[in-house]
Amino acid sequence: MFGRHFSVILLPTNKCNVACDYCFEDKTDDFMSIEMLDEIIEKLLDHMDRKDVAALTIYWQGGEVMMLPPAWFERANDLIARKAASRSRIVEHSLQSNMIGYSGKWNRLIREMFGNSVGTSMDFPNLYRRARNRSPAEYTNIWNRNVREARDSGIQIGVIAIPNNETLRLGAERFYSYFVDELHITDFQVNTSFSGGEACDAKLQSILDLHGLSKFVVDLAHIWAERGFRGGVKLGPFDQLLNHFIGDIASLPCIWQQNCADEFVSIDARGYVAQCDCWVTSYPDYWFGNIFAESSFTDLLEKSPARRKFQMRPEKLMTEESCSDCDYLSVCHGGCPVRTYSITGDFFRKDPYCQVYKALFSTMEQIAARVAAERASHTLPVMRVA
Amino acid sequence: MTEVVYNIPISLFSGYRGKNVIVRSYDPVEMVMGLSDYDLDHLVAVQLLSMTGNVDVLTNWGNGIPIDLLMLHPQTEFPFLYRYAKLLDRHPLRVCIPVVSGFSKAVKVATSLKLFVKLEIGQPDPSLIDEIHRVLNFYIHNPMVALPIEYFHSTFLAMYHSEQSSLWDVQEENPVNIRYVTEDGRETIARRLGTDRAEGNFDTFVADWQSSMIAEKAECYDCRYFRHCGSYFKWPRKTYRCEGVKSLFGTLEEAAQEMQGEITVLTQAQKGVA
Repeated sequence: MFGRHFSVILLPTNKCNVACDYCFEDKTDDFMSIEMLDEIIEKLLDHMDRKDVAALTIYWQGGEVMMLPPAWFERANDLIARKAASRSRIVEHSLQSNMIGYSGKWNRLIREMFGNSVGTSMDFPNLYRRARNRSPAEYTNIWNRNVREARDSGIQIGVIAIPNNETLRLGAERFYSYFVDELHITDFQVNTSFSGGEACDAKLQSILDLHGLSKFVVDLAHIWAERGFRGGVKLGPFDQLLNHFIGDIASLPCIWQQNCADEFVSIDARGYVAQCDCWVTSYPDYWFGNIFAESSFTDLLEKSPARRKFQMRPEKLMTEESCSDCDYLSVCHGGCPVRTYSITGDFFRKDPYCQVYKALFSTMEQIAARVAAERASHTLPVMRVA
Repeated sequence: MTEVVYNIPISLFSGYRGKNVIVRSYDPVEMVMGLSDYDLDHLVAVQLLSMTGNVDVLTNWGNGIPIDLLMLHPQTEFPFLYRYAKLLDRHPLRVCIPVVSGFSKAVKVATSLKLFVKLEIGQPDPSLIDEIHRVLNFYIHNPMVALPIEYFHSTFLAMYHSEQSSLWDVQEENPVNIRYVTEDGRETIARRLGTDRAEGNFDTFVADWQSSMIAEKAECYDCRYFRHCGSYFKWPRKTYRCEGVKSLFGTLEEAAQEMQGEITVLTQAQKGVA
C-alpha cells in the first residue's frame, strides 16, 4: 500500500480560532503533545520500513495549526528530521492555515519547515467565514491584512476558494478579478463544498445548484485561459486539467485520484485515523482506528473494515454507476467519497458533482486542444494553413 | 541469438534457475513466498492467473518486476483492475485481456488506470469484429490512451515505419523466443486461448506454419497483411476466415498512412519546402 511515497494529513490540534458557519469539522479542544507526536512519527516510520516506503509528506492542518505556537513546530520539525534521518527516510512538510492567527513570528518556521509556502482559504464573497461573534467582513479584513503581510515577507500564498450562491450570482468574472486583480493572488484553486458534520442552514445553502455551478466553472475556465494561463496565474484544478489533456504531467486533486485510499490518511490530535481530514473530523463511524491504541500503524490500516470500504469504492462504482462508460473515467474515477457521502448519505454512489466535473473536463479538453494547436503553430507553420 | 524465455508455473521455478523465466501463479502470496529466497536476475516477469488474489503482498515486494495480469472474464473482472493499479508505483503492469464479448470495457478501465494492455485475440469470432474495431478506434483516436494496446501498437508502428513485423512476436507466441511450460514440465507454444499445443521443432514452428499456408495457397498466399500477420490468425484452425481481422489491419494501415502523410507535410514545412 502507498507505493514508494505516502501522505499524512496531520491535525496537531482539533481546536480552531474561528467559527465558520459551514465548517464540516466537529471541533474539540484537543492538542497533540510533542510526546504524542513522537509516538505517531515512530509508528509512521515503522510502517514505512515495513512497507518499504521511501518518502512521506505531512500536510499540517487543523482545527487551526496556528493555535499551536511556532516553538511547538520547531520542536516537531527537529524531532521528525532526526527520526527520519536515522531511518534513511525523507519527510517533507506542507502547511494549511486560515492565516487569522498569523504574525511575523511564524516567518522563520514557514521558511525553514514549509518551503516558505502556506495554503489558506477565502471565498468571494465571504458569507460564512467568521470569527466567533464577528462578521464575515471582519474576518476578510484580518485575512487580507495577514496575507498581505505574509506575502510582503516573501511567503508564497495559495488560496482555496469555495463558491457560494452569491459567487454564482456575481459570476466568474467578478470572482476571478477579486482574487487576481484586487488581491494579486496568482495561485488559487476552486473547491466544491460538502455538508459534513452537524447540519445547519449554511451547510445546506452551500450545496449549490449544479447547473449554475457548471456554468460558473465553465466561464471561469475561459476567463483563466484568456487572461491568467499565459500570465502565470495558477488556477487549480483547471491548470492541472489543462496539463492532463495536453498530455503533460498533471497533478490532479485528491478527489479525482483513482483511489484516495492508496494515497493518504489523516490523523487527528487524539490519534484517530481516517481517510482524510474531512472524515476524521466529521464521521467517527468511518475512523480506521486510533494510532495510540495499536502497536502497529500498518496493522491498524490493514485490519480496518472502514478502510476496506474506501478501497472497494471505485470497484463498486464501476458496476453500480455509469462511470465505466464515461469519457472522463481516466480523470475522475468516480470522484470524492466524502462529498458523495455527505450529500447523498450513500458511500457507494458516484460524486454528486459529476455534472459539474463533466462540464469542466469538457471545457478544459477544448481549451487544451486550442493550446496544443497554438503550440504546434509556433513550431510548425503549416498548421496555421491547415 | 535471443535467449529463450520460459513461461513456467511457480512450482518449477527452482528447476529453471539460470534461465530467463516468466513465472506464473494464481496466488500472489504463493508468488512472493516462492520467489523470495531466490536470485531474481533471470526473472523476466511474473504472471498472475487470477484477478482475485491478495494483491497487497505485491505492494512492497521487489521493485520494477514486470507484472502481467491475465484476465479470464473481462466482462465481469474489469472492476478488479482498481485493486492492481496501486502496484504501478513499484512495478510495470500489463493486463492481458481475452477478446470475448464485452472485453472493451476492460480495455477502457485499464487504459484509464494507465496500464499496458495486450489483447489475447487468438482467432476472434466474426461477431467480435465490431467491438474490436471500436477498441481499435479508441486506441487510434482517443488522446487519453497514453500507453500501448497490443497488438495494435506494434503493428501500427511497423506500418508507419514501413517495416515488417510478426504477430507471433508481438503476441509473444513465437516459440523461438518464448516457450510455455505446462504444469507437468512439457514445453509447448505460448498460447492462452484455446487448448491446442504445438509440439515439434520450435525453432522452425512459425516458419513451417507460414510455408504450409503459402504452399496451400490459403488466404495468406496473396494477403497484403501477411508481412504483419505471418499467418498468425490461421493458427490453430487453418480454416479461419480472415475478413474481419483484415479489416482491422486495414484500419491500422490507414491510420499509419495518415500519420505518415501528416508528418511528411510537417517535416517539409519545417525545412521550408512548403
